[in-house]
Amino acid sequence: MTILRNILASTALVCAGTAALAEDVTITVWAGGSNEADSYRMDAIELAADMLMRERAIEGEELNITVEKKRDFGGWDDFKQAVTLAAEAGTAPNIVVTSHLDIAPWSQAGLIVPVEDYLDMDAWPLNDIYDNLMEIAAFDGIQWGLPQDAESRPFFFWKETMRGIGYTDQQIAELPAKVAAGEYTLANVLEDAKKAVDAGLVEEGYGFYPRVSNGPDYAQFYQSFGGVLQDPDTGKLVLDKAAMEAMYQFFVDCVEAGVTRKNHIGTDWGQWYNEVANGKAALWHGGTWHFARYTGKEGNDDFFGTIEFSLIPAGNADGRANTITHPLVYLITDQAEDDLEDIAAQLVKIASEPRMNALHAIKSAHLGITHQQSNIELYANDLWASEATERLLGTANAQPNHVQYGAFSETMWKGLEAAWTGVKSPADAVAEVEAELKAKLGDELIVR
Amino acid sequence: MKRMNWLGLGFLAPALLVIALFFLAPVIMTGFFAFTNMSTATGITGGDYMLNKSALRALGDAGLPDATLEKLEDAGYAVDEKGLAALAAQIDQETADEFARLHGGESFATRRDVERALKDLRQNRIRKTRDRKAAAELFKRSVLNERFGTEAEFRAALTAGGIAPRDHDQITAQAYTGWVWTTENVELLFTLPSTWRYAANTAIYVAFTLSFNVGFGLFLAISTFYLPAAQAATFRAIWFLPRILPPVLYVLMWKWFTWDTGFLSTVTGWFGMSPKNWMLDSPTHAWTTIVLINGFVGASMGMILFASAIRAIPASMLHASEVDGANRWQQVRYIILPQLRWPILFTTAYQTLSLLTSFEYILLATDGGPGRATEVWALAAYHTALNNYGGNLQYGLGAAFALVLVIIGILASLFYLRLFNFRQLVGKPLIEG
Repeated sequence: MTILRNILASTALVCAGTAALAEDVTITVWAGGSNEADSYRMDAIELAADMLMRERAIEGEELNITVEKKRDFGGWDDFKQAVTLAAEAGTAPNIVVTSHLDIAPWSQAGLIVPVEDYLDMDAWPLNDIYDNLMEIAAFDGIQWGLPQDAESRPFFFWKETMRGIGYTDQQIAELPAKVAAGEYTLANVLEDAKKAVDAGLVEEGYGFYPRVSNGPDYAQFYQSFGGVLQDPDTGKLVLDKAAMEAMYQFFVDCVEAGVTRKNHIGTDWGQWYNEVANGKAALWHGGTWHFARYTGKEGNDDFFGTIEFSLIPAGNADGRANTITHPLVYLITDQAEDDLEDIAAQLVKIASEPRMNALHAIKSAHLGITHQQSNIELYANDLWASEATERLLGTANAQPNHVQYGAFSETMWKGLEAAWTGVKSPADAVAEVEAELKAKLGDELIVR
Repeated sequence: MKRMNWLGLGFLAPALLVIALFFLAPVIMTGFFAFTNMSTATGITGGDYMLNKSALRALGDAGLPDATLEKLEDAGYAVDEKGLAALAAQIDQETADEFARLHGGESFATRRDVERALKDLRQNRIRKTRDRKAAAELFKRSVLNERFGTEAEFRAALTAGGIAPRDHDQITAQAYTGWVWTTENVELLFTLPSTWRYAANTAIYVAFTLSFNVGFGLFLAISTFYLPAAQAATFRAIWFLPRILPPVLYVLMWKWFTWDTGFLSTVTGWFGMSPKNWMLDSPTHAWTTIVLINGFVGASMGMILFASAIRAIPASMLHASEVDGANRWQQVRYIILPQLRWPILFTTAYQTLSLLTSFEYILLATDGGPGRATEVWALAAYHTALNNYGGNLQYGLGAAFALVLVIIGILASLFYLRLFNFRQLVGKPLIEG
């Protein structure tokens, strides 16, 4: 009798225990700016959920996680509006994959919670993530997010055109080193682009073929001429008037020399990709992820045979060869239940494991986030990932996480547009940028 | 009788609802947003109180005494009696004792340092990360980086941190993360050089498009009037096409037409001209295209209105004038145009108002380019409030842009009502009088 009673009692206890511990949760992941190649931004969370459920099961806790994924937003604008409006309405997704620039405004708005509130930052795999990437996902000394991927924005040369204007294969191969050393500058870019146009190797306007819309890429050219985005001591944003004017002047010179189209801005992205991937432009700049597009959809089967890549060349003696990395980050949103935030944080942690992140890096031609990724064969064996990591990522810097950086970036771009299209002279454009930034940013701006 | 009224109101209800939701509410909200510093960062629904490094820096710039600043900055984490007692209460006395032995009396700058210190526990390890973080929080003596839901809680924390009461107001104001009332947006509108240009752009846009709409609409209406009926109907139907085409498709066709790889460039290429983007080559090109894109849509509307008004002119007047030997021009000048006075005024008034606020064709065609040369006021409002690569949308400033349009719209409406002399316009018909 006693035995029976014991068995009954313990069974009841186990049942009650299981019932109390069994937990069904739904974790929603929204990824901005993502297409099919970037599916692992969300799929990795699913894989992580599987892992976390197994871990919890071993600990005796029954946790059922359903991951809901969404990435079909119209564009970055639609995505950001969707996230902020959902958050205001209290229905924010648990995890968002977005630009690191969103950290500053979203943390002030209370839309997101710091991952460091839930994760041991000294433990694997977080202690293996590159320090500079971790810093990019932090703001005001708080670790708000985790880097989801890394990239950088190289300068590209079409080898056949370079040969056409007199470069030997040896000289082309030496270009990346010469750019890095500051021996090949934007002045040389203009010169070579002009030669290519004059020789009829590319059409007029296709000598130097830049990005068609605003983006981090243009901050690179500002840095090429010695511009600094943020003052390291005070954290304020910096407008270096001389650097800005020199940068505007470079694009104006390109237009005047006939190597860049005056109405280039706003060119259709599809057209742009197709042209640069197939040698219609002599020199251009883009992102590391372009590799996937050029070799995939645009059908360039011999990337390394046709294209050379380097840092963005220096503009003058004040500047340096550079590249900007604009990593996307995993952010955890504020939820009514702390448990959900905790689970979400555990998931992004597991998704940051080198092997897991390598899936995304290689499928979407992004760069890795951890040191150990170079010991994962999938990553190490990929020529593009390893080459690009080595040549670019070491020198890469990021745009500052600052609440007002959006206004800064838009104003800088407006000025460039005005100078580029001939509506204003570079000096006038800079003067207007200065007036506008002073009015909008006030004390948060340092003018040099 | 009463039931009839209710029925009427019932029928009207959907319309009233739509007006309230999509017209009145946005207008009221615009007026309200325009006097706030609302942005993505401040949120819409209100804020909390949080002091972070940026806020401390701003306070330093604003002249907060150094002593207070240092106190705020250096408070950090302290393994003191209070914290240890809390640790004992939360976990147990033994853990607290061991931690006191290891790190009693020490101070740490960040929570991460405390977590590391807590990992030194050997006999009483805290095994879960979450528990360790909770334990570390017990030693927090700083108000930095913590969100307080109410002002009272935040002020209490300042008092607990030993911050002099005279500095509380300044710190609290800086720590507030939500939006505040401000007239800064309106001041910005007047000081930014770009806003004056947007105003000038809007004037150019409205003036040219309006002249085209009315002038061309009038031309079409009069010229088709003199055509045989069947031909006139065909012409009008063709001219009506731009209006019934979906705007996105209509503008896309304009793009194909004007691109440097498009139709115009191909044709001019046969004559040896180098290809160029006829839409974006220069501000003049862009304006011409935009006036044409909008104009063809607007002209068709004018055409329909004017054509029906001409039909209303008694044919006997025209016949009589022909007997008197008037030619076509004289008929237009002395009979048709005077009778079209009201329709022309109405079209002008109506289209001024709609052009002031419309930007969809510009957005689709040039998006304000080249170099913001075609950025009109309404488009600038949209770009400011809803479009920002860096992620911080400026709802407040965008609303201030929009508010100016609302005010101009209302003033213009009042002016037009007066101009039309509305009472006379809707006076009792004399026939029945």
